[in-house]
Amino acid sequence: MDYSLTTNMNHIYHIDRNFSKLQTRFAILKLIREFLWQDKFVEIEAPTIVALPGQEPNIQPMQVVVKDDKKKSFKGYLHTSPEYTMKKMLATGFEKIFYLGKCFRDEESFGGTHNPEFTMLEWYRQNASYYDLMDDLEKLSKFINKKLKFNNKNIAKKWKRQTMKQVWQEFVGVNLDDYLDSKKMCQLCISLGYKPAKTESYEELFYRIFLNKVEPFIGKDVPTIIYEFPKVMASLSKEINGGKYAERFELYYQGIELANVYTELNDAEEQKKRLQSEQKTRAKNKSLVYPIDEEFIDALKTGIGNCAGGALGVDRLIMLFTMDKDIDNVIVLPMSKLFNKEE
Amino acid sequence: MSSSISDVRKGCVIKHQGDLYVVTDARFTNPGKGSPFVTVKMKSITRGKTTEMTYKPVDDIEIVEVQSQKLQYLYKNAGFYSFMNNDNYENYDLEEEIIGDSSKYLKDGMEVYGSMFEDRVVAINIPPKVQYKVTDAPPAVKGDTASSGRLLKEVTLENGLVVKAPIFIKEGETILINTDTGEYCERIND
Repeated sequence: MDYSLTTNMNHIYHIDRNFSKLQTRFAILKLIREFLWQDKFVEIEAPTIVALPGQEPNIQPMQVVVKDDKKKSFKGYLHTSPEYTMKKMLATGFEKIFYLGKCFRDEESFGGTHNPEFTMLEWYRQNASYYDLMDDLEKLSKFINKKLKFNNKNIAKKWKRQTMKQVWQEFVGVNLDDYLDSKKMCQLCISLGYKPAKTESYEELFYRIFLNKVEPFIGKDVPTIIYEFPKVMASLSKEINGGKYAERFELYYQGIELANVYTELNDAEEQKKRLQSEQKTRAKNKSLVYPIDEEFIDALKTGIGNCAGGALGVDRLIMLFTMDKDIDNVIVLPMSKLFNKEE
Repeated sequence: MSSSISDVRKGCVIKHQGDLYVVTDARFTNPGKGSPFVTVKMKSITRGKTTEMTYKPVDDIEIVEVQSQKLQYLYKNAGFYSFMNNDNYENYDLEEEIIGDSSKYLKDGMEVYGSMFEDRVVAINIPPKVQYKVTDAPPAVKGDTASSGRLLKEVTLENGLVVKAPIFIKEGETILINTDTGEYCERIND
């Protein structure tokens, strides 16, 4: 075969260049399933096209138009996470379920630590709290590390677990308890030399400091779990400490956020309030606005019990093992190879 | 000049807390929590100190206009990279740090663009695609799939850079390389 007569084979060469990394990718996907199946989890499916996507103010869903056999059009969106579907399933009695598949987020970079189409592991446990999911993540990563003989010493070590309050004390030198409202946080930002706009939300202000003073320093040596987030930053999770904080954690390793986990909020009224507030933020930000998925609220009313759920960026987990800095190298055909940006 | 965060690129000069910095790396992130931001690694022009900052869309970033000057790369000597301005024959010896990762793409006689600030070169910008002559291309060995697939092999270019290129590439041929990713683009037929 004379390859020189064909196109420049952008796609095929990308796959060829990353051949061994892709083999690793598929071995990891297999092990994730094995690990969860051993623990009696059920792998479920969720529709990737939904009518009503999540309300997170900073996550943008991709729009799609579906036509039926009479060519009547319906406006839908690619799901940004299977969370609503999975909670509807929990309400009917499914207990330990996981989704391992694609999620989609618009307005993301092509490459680096993002691909607009990415692989997510989302898993829920009934009668559990987020502490159980901390264990799940640590055990899963150690299982992969051992089975595929990566012998990554940092992953094999005991992981660090610190509260958000502890890391703010350590890296910013302040007691986070004193900065739990926008006004105080804004003052702190100004005193640290930032110039926030007056309209900035608590979350925006929080991340100004967190991204500069905290995130670059956590999880450098061993994977680190940061838990107990200020309540306003955890719209789907259960409150603790008299309503100041909520049971949410994130997993960090080498400057990358790998997972985001909650003890799920099961109070339907409170959930609706938080979604309405997020919807308002979306409108304020001039993002797409769509109705709240009332059946998701109904699911909570029906009862999802005491459950915990998490989302793990699988492409990023693979990068951690293949030591890649660019997500493109562990994806068969990343977005950056699909479109010609020069056009 | 006040700019938006999407204007911040490697090689541009920004004013930060009264000092001038040249951007050595700029990564745009949309974390899904809080608004998007750009993480900028930058080096002080006056003090050489490196620092990292994140900027949000609402932040004012002051990008300082720098002049772009065509320069010719001459050679590397005693740890310095020598460039010449062909208009006035002025020579510049630059430290490795200014060139950064791009140094591996330099080849003798190559034309690049220098970002000039007050008669100093503060950054070097390599063309996005550069042609190189292949100086070593081992014949493809069947079954050589340990580290890669079966369509690419490692070849050495005229400046010593090793890249993956298709197995049909032979010594003496010229290929085009993407200097952003280090990837093979195409073979140049003479």
